[in-house]
Amino acid sequence: MNMSRAKQLLAALVLTSATVAPSVLRAQQGAPVLDIADVRTREAVQREFARAASRGLPVRALIAKAQEGVTKQAAGERIRAAVSSLARRLEQARDLLSPSPSDAEMIAGADALAVGVPATMLRQIRAAYPAGASVAMPLDVLTELVARGVPASNALSQLTQLMRRGATPTQIAGLGASVQSDVSAGLTPDAALEVRARGVMSLLPSPAAISALAPRGTRP
Amino acid sequence: MTARRRFAAFGAAVALATLVASAARAQQATDVRVEMGYANITQSGFSQADAALISLLWRPAWERWGFVTSANFTYAQDSLAAAQGVAAVDIPWKLSDRLRTEAGIAGASFSLRSTGRGGNVSTFVRQHGLASNYGAWVGGASGATDRDGVSSRSYAVDIGLWQRWGPLYLSAIGTRHRSTDWPLLVASGVMRDPDENVFDLRDGQLTAQLRYGPHDIAFTYTSRTGVAETEAAFEAVYWSGTLQIADRVALVGSYGRQLADPLRGLPQAEVLTASVRVSLGPKPLPVLERSLIARASVEPLALGGGMLEVRVFAADALEIVIAGDFSEWKPIRMEREGTMWVSRTRLAPGKYRVAVQVNGGEWRAPRNLARVRDDFGGEAGLVVIP
Repeated sequence: MNMSRAKQLLAALVLTSATVAPSVLRAQQGAPVLDIADVRTREAVQREFARAASRGLPVRALIAKAQEGVTKQAAGERIRAAVSSLARRLEQARDLLSPSPSDAEMIAGADALAVGVPATMLRQIRAAYPAGASVAMPLDVLTELVARGVPASNALSQLTQLMRRGATPTQIAGLGASVQSDVSAGLTPDAALEVRARGVMSLLPSPAAISALAPRGTRP
Repeated sequence: MTARRRFAAFGAAVALATLVASAARAQQATDVRVEMGYANITQSGFSQADAALISLLWRPAWERWGFVTSANFTYAQDSLAAAQGVAAVDIPWKLSDRLRTEAGIAGASFSLRSTGRGGNVSTFVRQHGLASNYGAWVGGASGATDRDGVSSRSYAVDIGLWQRWGPLYLSAIGTRHRSTDWPLLVASGVMRDPDENVFDLRDGQLTAQLRYGPHDIAFTYTSRTGVAETEAAFEAVYWSGTLQIADRVALVGSYGRQLADPLRGLPQAEVLTASVRVSLGPKPLPVLERSLIARASVEPLALGGGMLEVRVFAADALEIVIAGDFSEWKPIRMEREGTMWVSRTRLAPGKYRVAVQVNGGEWRAPRNLARVRDDFGGEAGLVVIP
């Protein structure tokens, strides 16, 4: 190794430390003092926060999960396992929603995985939305629909159609509540989603209209 | 009962169980319970009889009205058999949350050693007045029984009071019966003046029930006396207990004396039962807990986000708290408004998990929200704010 490469390596190390260390410190200093009786478990949870911060994961989601366990008087070991499991899902969601998912998108992705949405669907939903636009809301709605009993493939299909047709986040977010009211009236969740998605689609411009309105020379 | 009829009754029970289980899959929040077990029944003047019990309960998650229907089958080899079905609805008044009307209908088919073969239909209606931890009702009921070709009618009016202190529930009920069902009442040891055609009875009943954690113990004492030309003097004590051993499973047992019920055509008997209760709903619902009638709604705000309102109908609750992502899972006490408990929270657009806890019990999701597991053996509700 020549001197120049050694300097470059040293500079990279310093830069990495300077970037990572403050977030780790913030995670450790900002982490709440959790009411977990077992000291070792409490420290293990705190370490999980620090590890997540160093990997660029949203620590606030982990803190909330730990606090939820404390509020629900769960055993310390169960809280640690829940935090650790969420950290793994966050990391998986970050990779699936790459290249640069926001905290909200990672949390939405992790929650989707938790209710059984297949990992490949996170990639599909990312691909269906314009780069740079947040997929947090569509993922949240997908999670809600799957939790209500709509098969994940059907929910994804309806959502991606709505997204491609230009449905607004508000229109997409309202789907879950609409489906619930139909389920209460006796429809199956799947049928309710289809009816409601059609209702939203009837308000959107047709694909032909979108093509016609698209600026000439650009791909619609 | 012939072998063919037994086979038909068993087939009907299986078909009903399948139907109920299918309904449970279609309706996410539907509460379905199956109970199976053993009973030992001794009717006055007869030897003990062993019997098999099957009971089904179906309670759909309607948001405002309460509805429950159940079917019970009792079968013993030596002609002690009965099938009962009950459907009841509980309707809150729009004028006031403190008023509720309960009405129901029950049907039964039986083949009993003591009183013969036949059927019964009964109806009841009760008007409830509810306060925070106590309440009262007044009601009336009628029943028509046909037994070996002999028809009879029975009527009753009842008045009841109840009070709850934490996990302890107490009630006192006074009932006045009038019945022409002489085969049932004579077989149960009730006498009358030979010139009279009508039996008059007066019952006083006290019930104490303790619910604590997975345990539920109930004790009932009933005193019955004859009125006018009817001679009757009975006392009966009945114990029942439930132990929840898993999310979906509970053990149930009972022992004691049940007095004749002319409204429903049920004979007087010493009863011992032991059974297993299983919840078949798509999500494990606590077997013991009375269904939590919590409802969440979102009112969109002009500047974005929405107002999440959660209302819990739990007139007898001492304290209800709500927690969720929006409170960083710190519990917030809900406010009492009449017989309802209410929480209103202004939220930014996004997804939130929410749970409600009544009297320090389990954390439950509001009934109309999508429900998810919470990593701690419980559940939470999901709400998306546009």
